[in-house]
Amino acid sequence: MQRQSFLQRLVAMPEFGPLVLLIAEIAVFTAINPSFLSPLNVSNTLTFTVELGLIALAMTLLMTAGEFDLSVGSVFGFAPVLMWTLFNSGVAPLEISFLIAMLAAVGIGLFSGFFVTRLKIPSFLVTLGMLLVVRGTALYITDGFPQRTWNAAGHWLATALVGDFHVGPFRIYASLFWFVAAALVLGYVLTRSKAGNWIQASGGNPQAAAARGVKVGRTKVALFVLTAVMAAFAGMISSIRTSAANPNSGMGYELEVIAMVVIGGTVLTGGRGTILGTVIGILILRVMRNGIVLIGVPGLAYNIFIGAIILGMMALHSWLERRHNAGV
Amino acid sequence: MADLIRMVGITKYYGRVRALEDVDFSVREQEIVGLLGDNGAGKSTLIKVLSGAVPVTSGEIWVRGEKAEIRSTTDAIRYGIETIYQDSALVTQLSIARNLFLGREPVKGPRWLGRMDLAAMNEVASGLLRKVGIEKRIPPETPIAALSGGERQAVAIARAMHFDSDLIVLDEPTNNLGVAETQGVLNFVRGARASGHSCIFIAHNIHHVFQVVDRIVVMRRGRVVADDIDPKASSVEAVEQVITGMTAEGVPVGE
Repeated sequence: MQRQSFLQRLVAMPEFGPLVLLIAEIAVFTAINPSFLSPLNVSNTLTFTVELGLIALAMTLLMTAGEFDLSVGSVFGFAPVLMWTLFNSGVAPLEISFLIAMLAAVGIGLFSGFFVTRLKIPSFLVTLGMLLVVRGTALYITDGFPQRTWNAAGHWLATALVGDFHVGPFRIYASLFWFVAAALVLGYVLTRSKAGNWIQASGGNPQAAAARGVKVGRTKVALFVLTAVMAAFAGMISSIRTSAANPNSGMGYELEVIAMVVIGGTVLTGGRGTILGTVIGILILRVMRNGIVLIGVPGLAYNIFIGAIILGMMALHSWLERRHNAGV
Repeated sequence: MADLIRMVGITKYYGRVRALEDVDFSVREQEIVGLLGDNGAGKSTLIKVLSGAVPVTSGEIWVRGEKAEIRSTTDAIRYGIETIYQDSALVTQLSIARNLFLGREPVKGPRWLGRMDLAAMNEVASGLLRKVGIEKRIPPETPIAALSGGERQAVAIARAMHFDSDLIVLDEPTNNLGVAETQGVLNFVRGARASGHSCIFIAHNIHHVFQVVDRIVVMRRGRVVADDIDPKASSVEAVEQVITGMTAEGVPVGE
């Protein structure tokens, strides 16, 4: 093995392709409509990006361990609905309602995790069932109606989650800091910690990992819990920010989140994942959604672009993989 | 030398199919035993029983004179028995160093942070690769996927040696390897014996077995038919006859 130049190593990184795409996207949108980079538009784009992004970060670890979770969109909708229902009916104050809803998410993650690891049912089927159960519960307890939300402004919990302030012309929500913190912590866990080694081994070769004493089942259950908790947390942030708790919210998010993760370079079959790639993948999809509307492409055409990006990125990743294996 | 492991009266049924019938098998300390037999002779089943991959129907396993309960691969590793199947023991996406320490990662700093001591892991890994006899300089950060079949065997053997497995079981370690790579693997096996380990060496290629083992055990149809063949006092042809139960002319030989 000879030393490779910095440039060669940069190009060989799995995050390189997505990064080029993101830069190209931003360049094209800005060229067509300069207001794309205006403080107002950047602030608006970031606001919802980080909410979906929180789920994608957790999903990255889960997918690296070889599993995925289709129920995140349902949990995103269910958790705030549960919190507001408890609060509105006077059962508990807001803090306690928040805690109960988060604990419900822990329970959902535990349940999915045990079904996948103990009963050996593929996560596709388990979490598909969970998607329906959780969404159904949210619809049932609300009779399908959005929950009355008290204007949360001023409550310390609301401030901690989505308090906003201005940095120069940019309007920043506290959720951005939660996102950055989560990205740093999970990036550290995946690449530097012992747990990260177990996560990658659990996805790469579970039999070999188990033979070395790695607790594959426990690792996966913990990640199902983490993913459900992050989905619930993101749902809370979104609900408090928009002062709305709709039992239908979050529908279809699971696929967008999984798309973000794989576009960033994490392998669907497990064994290799990248938090940095996921952050880029999150931005690629959200910038695309915002940008094509801004340059005048009909919003309904959005999915065509997303689908094309996924296919293109997968082709690129598989090409790089073959090149890599050929020893180039 | 004393017996390191002793398997006594091992019988294994898969449903109603008999795979092993009253097998006695032992490995002494610092001994390399060649386990030979045609397909279906029971070698793999015997090894799976020893490594905890399949439960035994009846029979006992003794390790260093004490009765061992081996119910899982983790149990087997705890008793110092490490089985290396080609490829399957390693996580190809992870680096050499990360594979070597998988499940036993050294931690630096506060425990709850779980920060792996990557520098120490890489340093130990480099030393081990040299010790096991890999001539090419391979950085310990290299993912297993980038290694050749022989180099992967070397990593697996190095790991078993480092974590003090007393018995290293090699299942078809020279399959699909080129001539030079095969010699490399045979050298790793000799190196393991020199540093005090025992090995069970399973291979279809009798010539490879002859080059490296101290004793040959032959199985046929679920039984041990010869368990003390000295490769220095025997020939490949003679062992072939024991394996097939036929003379070179195709006449059945008595057991």
